[in-house]
Order: sequence, then structure tokens, then C-alpha cells
Amino acid sequence: MFFFAVRRILASVLVLLVSSFLVFTLCAASFDPLAKYYNLNPRPPESFFTNLREQLGLNDNFFLRYWHWLSGAVTGDFGETINGTPVADQLFGRILVTGRMIVAAVVIAVILAIVVGVIGAVRQHRPSDYFFTFLVYVLIALPTFWFAALLKEFVAGGVNDLFGAQVLFTIGEETPGLSLYASGWELWSDRLGHLVLPTVSLALLSFAAWSRFQRSAMLDVLGSDYMRLARAKGLTYRRTVVRHGLRNALIPLTTVVALGIGTLFGGAVITETVFVWHGMGEYLLSNGIGENDINVVLGWLLVSAVFVVLFNLMADLLYAVLDPRIRLA
Amino acid sequence: VKLSKRSAAVLAAGVAGAMTLSACGGSDDGGGGGSESGGSGQVVFGESTDFPENLFPLISAGNATSTANIEAQLFPQTFEVQPDFTVKWNEELLTEEPVSEVTGDTQTVTYKLNPDAVWSDGEPITADDFDVAWRMQRSSDPANGGCPELLSTSGYEQITAVEGTDEGKTVTVTYSPPFADWQASFTGNNSPLFPAHVVDAPTQEELCAKVAAGWPIADGIPSDISGGPWQLKKENIDVGGQIAVLTPNENFWGEKPKVARLVFQNIGNDPTTAVQGLSRGELNMIYPQPQLDLVDQVADLAPNVESEISFGLSFEHLDFNSQDPHLADVNVRKAFALALDRQQVVDQTVGQFSSDAEVLNNHIWKTNQPEYEDNAPAEYNAANPEQAKQLLQQSGYTLGQDGVFTHPQRGRLAIQIDTTANNPLRQTTIEVMIPQLKAAGIEGTFNANTDIFNGPDKPTSLIAGGFQAAVFAWVGNPFVSAQPPIYQSPQGDAVGQNYARVGTPEIDALFAELIRTTERERQVEITNQIDVLLWDLMPTLPLYQKPTFIAYSSNIDGVVDNPTQAGPLWNASTWTVE
Repeated sequence: MFFFAVRRILASVLVLLVSSFLVFTLCAASFDPLAKYYNLNPRPPESFFTNLREQLGLNDNFFLRYWHWLSGAVTGDFGETINGTPVADQLFGRILVTGRMIVAAVVIAVILAIVVGVIGAVRQHRPSDYFFTFLVYVLIALPTFWFAALLKEFVAGGVNDLFGAQVLFTIGEETPGLSLYASGWELWSDRLGHLVLPTVSLALLSFAAWSRFQRSAMLDVLGSDYMRLARAKGLTYRRTVVRHGLRNALIPLTTVVALGIGTLFGGAVITETVFVWHGMGEYLLSNGIGENDINVVLGWLLVSAVFVVLFNLMADLLYAVLDPRIRLA
Repeated sequence: VKLSKRSAAVLAAGVAGAMTLSACGGSDDGGGGGSESGGSGQVVFGESTDFPENLFPLISAGNATSTANIEAQLFPQTFEVQPDFTVKWNEELLTEEPVSEVTGDTQTVTYKLNPDAVWSDGEPITADDFDVAWRMQRSSDPANGGCPELLSTSGYEQITAVEGTDEGKTVTVTYSPPFADWQASFTGNNSPLFPAHVVDAPTQEELCAKVAAGWPIADGIPSDISGGPWQLKKENIDVGGQIAVLTPNENFWGEKPKVARLVFQNIGNDPTTAVQGLSRGELNMIYPQPQLDLVDQVADLAPNVESEISFGLSFEHLDFNSQDPHLADVNVRKAFALALDRQQVVDQTVGQFSSDAEVLNNHIWKTNQPEYEDNAPAEYNAANPEQAKQLLQQSGYTLGQDGVFTHPQRGRLAIQIDTTANNPLRQTTIEVMIPQLKAAGIEGTFNANTDIFNGPDKPTSLIAGGFQAAVFAWVGNPFVSAQPPIYQSPQGDAVGQNYARVGTPEIDALFAELIRTTERERQVEITNQIDVLLWDLMPTLPLYQKPTFIAYSSNIDGVVDNPTQAGPLWNASTWTVE
């Protein structure tokens, strides 16, 4: 298993290298970080443009620029934004923000997906199966931004009206400035109140698709010979479903969830925007692409790609744990 | 659904994990606060533009709307631009109105500083602070001891001396040649006074190095210095959460703020977020780009929320590139303008927001500025396709089978109108124009040009000149020195910002006089003369001013939108919260 992991990591490094080069090429060809200054009125002096071009290394040869970035990135220096803030500093904080938003959501989503998926399979064609199928398809069909807006309008509004106070919040991670004059429970409950809606939104939307995977995997397993054998040996139905069925049926879900989490770390872009969490997704869109900032885009690419690779690797390793027949070598 | 013990444990672990992560990333800025200041309540301002990365306004990194909003009342300014677009001297900083005198080729401006005026650390505000502002901004040429990072040296490059007498409380600034916009020096969120005892350095090189580095947001403003009613302390900046909290400056000599905290929270530009934040009470004020459904939704929140549309200094116009074979002919440019019904363009665009929207009929002044005169010849006030056709026929065009004019040398009169991509307002503007042009035998087409504002290396940018006509905006101001680059004749390749690439010696001469004229009445006369000439030359056609939109909880008293660069928070220190 060790060699397997090493081989996978080496292959991933190659993929990262190629993708960073491609993204660098695209960005270098289309970004003009000076664009927003040409039409200031009056226009900044010529020396301003010369200086900025020099500072951002725009005069250098394309390959040299890439090399500068790459050699820096290898040593953990992701360069600076066009406004001079180190990218690495910002990335670290942003991962935490995104992490905070998705951790609870993913845990809830996985549990819900398994429970709903198993129920759907075990009670196939019964009312409960139809009910969950309907619910899940509604959730899959809902656009994130709309679902989030509905949550804010009705759930936040309803709960707050019910308590007659601000319990659930729709913007940011905590009430701005609260940490200046509050501490302890007040601060923590405020943060929790900010966390609920984005978590619910992410969890429900992610769980919906995942539960379909779980349901079909479970159906597959339920019809297999070893299940019948287990029952014939005299095991209880419950025990066969959980021990023999569920464990095998978890394998496909593992892959889907691992990929999903890896991607989520790149930013739950819409959820972040709607609930105003300043995480990875916002970093790519507004600070990177919006500002024509090549270092931000590449920094984002590298970090989110690392998460995708990492979670894929974990999925592969989990395979072996879940299915002893698989030997990684 | 019943959870097993193990699942419940996993769920709990997940929630706990999220909480722990919160603790890691959460701001550790407790303890600050300004509750001791006597003000009460707070106002949360939802900032829709990017969070600042740098707080020093003279350089590109600090050139952000969010920085300007935060610093609206942090650093003293000699003059302040009022919501009615007039310029008023700062009665807290100065004891009397500054006097400007011109003798020959030199101009002296005398400022009398309030003897009580001090920085937040108790240091008096003196001539030294004027002096350092000048030395930082007098040149952008490193060979000349200048700082190349500067966005502008306008005015400061003409200053020859800054002298202080009377213990530095009387400041005499000498310009040579005279500077028309002397009131704009040491004025505005983007070039206020800076505390010399904090920013100055022993040598010009070190001073420039300080300018180049600016004030990165993570480090805050050096020494938390302030010279206005508010103060931004480093401990009150939460970079990760994109929140900045202003508290009253304890040492402010003038009227202190009546609100305990002014909170800036970045909310991005999603209109639904802004409206829901306002209706849930999480935000107390928003200042977004107006969009129709946003304005309607906010109107539904009355009476808890008040809102107001104003027309600001930013205006849309149509640029004709005179290097195009068709548009090089002034008759074609005029025919284009005659064909358009600008009132209809206004009705279909900004007129949807407010019935106060008007067609703009001056190249330099905006309809709500006191200097505004309607200089447009009457024939441009409505669509005039017949007269347009006559002009085109005079220039040798003949009407083709398809209803579009053609010229024996220049070919078919098809003009592509470029504009920025993803801008619905500008797209509508052009789409309304196209059938109007068609009625006069001109084929107009819409083109979203992503390179339009890029540099000279992109062939279709405004600077490179690879366009026929273009719709975009300029931001006006109460001052005049920004105008010449837009309308002066290009000198060879140096087009400045005259993207129409056309001018006349007469206009150039008037501009030359304007930039040395310090009396306001004369400035207004000259600029309106220039405007009359521009209507005859038709390098650009003004269309309309863009609206600004402010919405705020109705328990805040004293809010007056300032649709100039001063911004909505220009008078935040006078607000009260019920």
C-alpha cells in the first residue's frame, strides 16, 4: 500500500505541473492587470505603468515568469497579489474559512446519504422509497443560489420570528465587530447561528445526489448471492443488511464523496457568495479572475488540486479497508 | 430517522471539528472597541466592492472604493466636495477660507489651520503635514527624486514651495505655473493630508520606499493614526472576515461622532444578499450598483428601510473614432448623433430607475452641477433622421438597396459599437440605438469587447484605437484639470485619453488657458465655450449620468448620499442611531 501511495503522489505531482503550466499560459495570455488604470481620469503617469509592469514581471519572458512562479511555489512562496499581499497568507486563512463551512455539512450529508440510500434500497417501491426519491430529486433540481435564498427568506425569517430575536444569520461567519464587545457563549452562539444555514444548504444539496449512489449500490448488493447465503446461514435480516450489505455498498459512495470533498475545498463557490463567507471560491473568482491576478489563480489551483489529489488517495486507501479483496501494490 | 450511537458520535465530531476550525480562523481582536467614547449604537455598512489590501490611497494597491469609503473621515482635507457637487472649505480644520492669489506666473494659497487641530496621538497638524504630502506626490519620475508608484501627481508637480509660519499653523503653498484646481490639492479621500511625524523619512528615497510599500491591511494604519472624527485601530481590522470597525477618535478637536461604531462588512455584489441582509437587520446600510429588481425589493422594505436614487458624476457617452474612414468625416459623426433619440435611450435605461433621469447635454459638467449649461444644438434633442440623411448625402453617400448608405470610396456605412462585456445597461443602450440608426440609413451593430480597457498591446483597446464607436463611462468631478486629456488634440501617438483622436487648435488654446485659470467664474465660462465647440466637432456624444443607490435602516438619522468620489460615508460622524 505504501508503494501504491508513493506512485499515486508522484503521478499527481506531474498532473499538477502540467495543469499549472496550462493555467499559467491561459492567464498570461488573457490577463492584463494594468487594464483598470488606463482609464483612470486623469491617467496615471507613464512611469507608473513602467514601474508596475517591472514590478509584476510583465516584461520578462513567458517561460522565465513561469519558472519564477514555480521555483517560488516549490519553496512555499506563492508570490504576491498585484496589490502586494503574499498569496500564501491569504490562502491559508481561506482554506480554514471554506473548511469551517464544509466539515459539518459533509458529515451530515454522508450520514443522510447512507441512511436515505439504504432505506430507499431496502424498502424499494414502498411509499418511503417514493417519498425520498421525490424529495431527493427536488433537491438535486434546485439551483444552489435559489435554495440558499429560500433558506434565508423563510427558515431564517421563520426561526427568528419564532424566537423573537436574531438566532439565525445570513451574512458572514459572525456578527461584524461582535468580538470587540462580546465573548464566551454570546460569541460562540453567534458563530453557530451563522454556521447553520450554509451548513444546511450545503448538506442537503450534497446529500441528495450521494443518496442516489448509495441506493443503487445497495440495491446491487441486496440482490447478490452472498446475501442470500448469509440469510440461509441463519443470520438475521438486519445483520445481513448492515454487515454484509452496507459495507460492500459503501465502496462506490466512498469514491464519489472523496471527489466531492476535494472539489468542495476548492470552494463551494455559490454557497460562499450567497452567505458571504470569504473562502476559496470567492478567492478564485473575485480576487483571482476578477482582478486579473495570475498568482492568485495559480495559488488557488495548486491548493485546491492538492485537496482533490489527497482525497482521491484517501478514497483508494479506504477501498482496501472496506474490501479486503483489493490489494494495492 | 434514528441514528445509531456511532453515527451520532461522528456527527458530533463533525460539528466539533467545525467549531474548532472556527476558533483557529476567528479574529483574535477582542478588547478594542469604543464604548467609552460616549457615542451609542452602531451602523453596519455592507461594502459591495472588494475588501482593501492596502490602506494607502496614493498607490495602485490602495486605489479601491472600499479604501476610499473607510478613509472618508480619517484624514483631514482642506476642501470637501458636497452632495450638491459644490466644494466647501473644511471649517473644522481651517479657521478661515483659504485665499489664492496670482501674481504673474506664480500662485500662492494660504491656509490658516485651526490651532486645536491635532492628530489622534496629540501631535499638532501643521505645515509639515502639507509639506510631506507635497514631497510624496510632486513627481513620479525616479530620476527626478519622484516616486513611480504614484497614481497621480496632478497639481503637486506644480508646487514650488510649502512654507509654514505661526508655529506651522499658517501654511503658504506656492504654485508655478498657477494651478486651476488648487482646491483639489490636499483634498479628497485619495489625496488628503498625511501625518508628517508618521510618514516622513530622512531622505526622498526612503520616503518613496514608504510610499511604495503603503499600508498593507494586515498591518493597519501606522500608529493607528487619524486626523478626523473616526479612527481605524489595527485590532479592529479582521482581514479574514473582511471586516473593519471604525471607532471615534478620542482626540478629535471638532464635533465627535455620535455613533459608537461604524462597521464595514464586505458583502460582495450579490443583490439578494444585500436586500436580505438589510431586511434581517444584519446590515444597516448598502450602497450597491443599482439594478432594477434590487431597487424594487428595497422599496418593499419601507418604512423600515429608506432608499434614495441620485445621479452621480459618472456618465455614459458614445466615442467616435476619427481614424475610421467613415467617422473621420464630421458629417458622419453628426449624422450619427442626429439619428439618435437620446431621450428614448434614457427612458429604456436609467429612466427605469428614476423619473429624474435626463439626457446629458454637456461634455464637461453634469446636469446637477451648478456649472451645467445645456449647450446642445436643438437638432440633437430628438431623432432627426431626415437631417442626418441630408448630411450623409452631402458627404457623397448614397442610399443603397438595403436601406443603408454607401460611399464610393469608404464603402457601406456599417458601424460597430463596442462596449464592455457583461454590462446590461450599456448593452441596452446600444440595442436601443441600433433601430434608430437604421431609420437614418446607418447600420449599427453591438460588440462586447473584453479588451476595451486594456493596454496598447491589445489591438482592439480604446488606447490602441482598433474600434469604430464605443460606449463607456467617464467619471466627472467638480474640478477641471482632468478634462484636457480627453478632448485635447492628440500629439502624434500620444492620444492621452482622447480616444476619438480629434481636436482643434481653438479648443487646445482654451484648455491651455483653463489649466492656469484660478477663478471659478472664468473656468466655467471657458469650459462652456469648449463644450459649444465640442458639439460642433462631435468627437463624443454624451448620453446620460449613471445613478447611485443608497438604502439604509430608517433608524439612522442624518444620512445624505454624496454621489461624488466623497461617497455615502462622507458625513458619517454626524449620524445618530435611534
